[in-house]
Amino acid sequence: MEQRSIVAVQKSMRHKRFIKKWVLAIIIYAVAIFYFFPILYMFLSGFKTEQQAVMPSIFFKPTLETYKKVLSDPTMYQYLRNSLIQVIGGTGISLLLGVPAAFTIVFGRLKNKGSNDKYYVWFIITILLPPVAVLIPLFTWYQKLNLINTPYGLMAAYIGFHTPIIVWMVHSFFSDLPNEIFEAASLDGCTKLQQLYKIAIPMARTGIISAALLVAVFIWNEFFLGFNLTGNPTATLPVFMSRFREQQGQFVAQLSASSTIAVLPAIILGWMTQKALVKGLTSGAVKG
Amino acid sequence: MKTSRKTDYAFLLPAVVVVAVMTQVPFVLTIIFSTLRWNLSRPDLPRIFVNIQNYWHFFKIESLSEIPEFYSILWQTILITGTTLILCSVLGFLLALLLDNDIPGVNIARTLMLGPFFVMSTASGVIWKTTIFNTTFGWYGVIAKALGFTPVDLVSYFPIPVIIVLFTWQWMPFFILVLLAGLQGIPQELVDSMKIDGVNWFQGVFKIKLPLIMNHFRVAVMLGLVFLIKEFGLILVTTAGGPGTRSYNLPYAVYMQVFSANTIGRASALAVITVVLTLILVNLLYRSIIKQNKKFS
Repeated sequence: MEQRSIVAVQKSMRHKRFIKKWVLAIIIYAVAIFYFFPILYMFLSGFKTEQQAVMPSIFFKPTLETYKKVLSDPTMYQYLRNSLIQVIGGTGISLLLGVPAAFTIVFGRLKNKGSNDKYYVWFIITILLPPVAVLIPLFTWYQKLNLINTPYGLMAAYIGFHTPIIVWMVHSFFSDLPNEIFEAASLDGCTKLQQLYKIAIPMARTGIISAALLVAVFIWNEFFLGFNLTGNPTATLPVFMSRFREQQGQFVAQLSASSTIAVLPAIILGWMTQKALVKGLTSGAVKG
Repeated sequence: MKTSRKTDYAFLLPAVVVVAVMTQVPFVLTIIFSTLRWNLSRPDLPRIFVNIQNYWHFFKIESLSEIPEFYSILWQTILITGTTLILCSVLGFLLALLLDNDIPGVNIARTLMLGPFFVMSTASGVIWKTTIFNTTFGWYGVIAKALGFTPVDLVSYFPIPVIIVLFTWQWMPFFILVLLAGLQGIPQELVDSMKIDGVNWFQGVFKIKLPLIMNHFRVAVMLGLVFLIKEFGLILVTTAGGPGTRSYNLPYAVYMQVFSANTIGRASALAVITVVLTLILVNLLYRSIIKQNKKFS
């Protein structure tokens, strides 16, 4: 008799736990979908015709018409190309500068003890500097040198602002590598350059890639400098989005398709970097 | 040994030089510009040194009935940044707790909620403005009418709350990401022993979990502050700073000074004020962090 009631109690407890779990699951899914809804709706509306998109609706007959229209517009390609130039050039050069710098900060022997940390802190402080602090001189220089109408001016600014982020994040990945490997390598006659590209970079590869992807996302999305330091031929996608309403008017379907093209690459790259993002941010900053 | 030190510097210095030339040097120039009277639209006028007059122009209070615009812009900047940070912290923590549950498919939910963080601010501004906030064609307008209300144009009547909502939408995922990482770093044994000791949910969350993830909280708030205070694109595409200057923040005011008023000197002064404000707030936060750290250890 007693035995059976214990079994029954256990069963009902398990039952309760099961229900609790699924109630919780439904709440979590609902919250997540609600939160993601503006992006989801944008994604859906890109597959509507302009007539379908006037009033909000979720169920409709999807069509590729709007995408065809958006992608046949040559100005869209121009913005896309400009953004890609900035992302590839800016991220690439930031990596070339930032990764060796992070290597020296972690493993190098600079003249004074403690200067490694000083340089590290200097890079971190630079991250705090808001872009408004540099806009005005850069703007006057670029106007004089006509850099506004070339991609190089903006790219230089992006490199200046994103190299510190590379240093910061890669620093946290290099710090995980054991110092002994590099001591052994240098005893074996391995030069610093070889240590960097034969040992350090391959070992911290995933971290470096994530840092690069994160910087790529930041540059892809950057607006303040991109808006103020470019002319019509060099403007990037965020600038295109900001001008959409005045240039193209209130076309919800077109707007949705164009912004999907502008937003989706960043979301996908961002999702890929999320783990490294947390690690880079917390390990560097929690101690400091 | 000597050559290896040379390589060390060869690795480090290019980055230092480029970063200094593109960020620090322009900032020093901005400080110098802020002491000049310099109008871009009047190249015939000489640039003259005016000392702190550009700053004085913003700070000067001539009569108490007419507080200059600068103070409201300063207040709006702090209001927008502060409220967003508070909302992100509170809601972000609660949602991180929710997402810390081990249920099937929770990773998909986490990934979805992270999405808005990676959306460019101009796109999210335009999307919200046309598909959500629009009073006739947006979800807000349609739902309000279906419920029998007359929808008011939120973007022009409540510009600052609208901006705060959008910033929160964009930045809370970042808080969730960092706080969730903290929550998942709490050792399982501790959670188990909490259950055995009969700690209730409220105590468990606020007396045990929250202190344990304090460092993650600080990282999130600090970075959130640094990034939010320089936001510009979202304000431009949603309210355009309006009505009037009611939803300006400092970066937006700098932009208007350069490109509408063409006054380089005053714009530079505002830019310097922005940097100083950022540094003061970061410093205050940092100090409170150190104080808290002492309390806990």
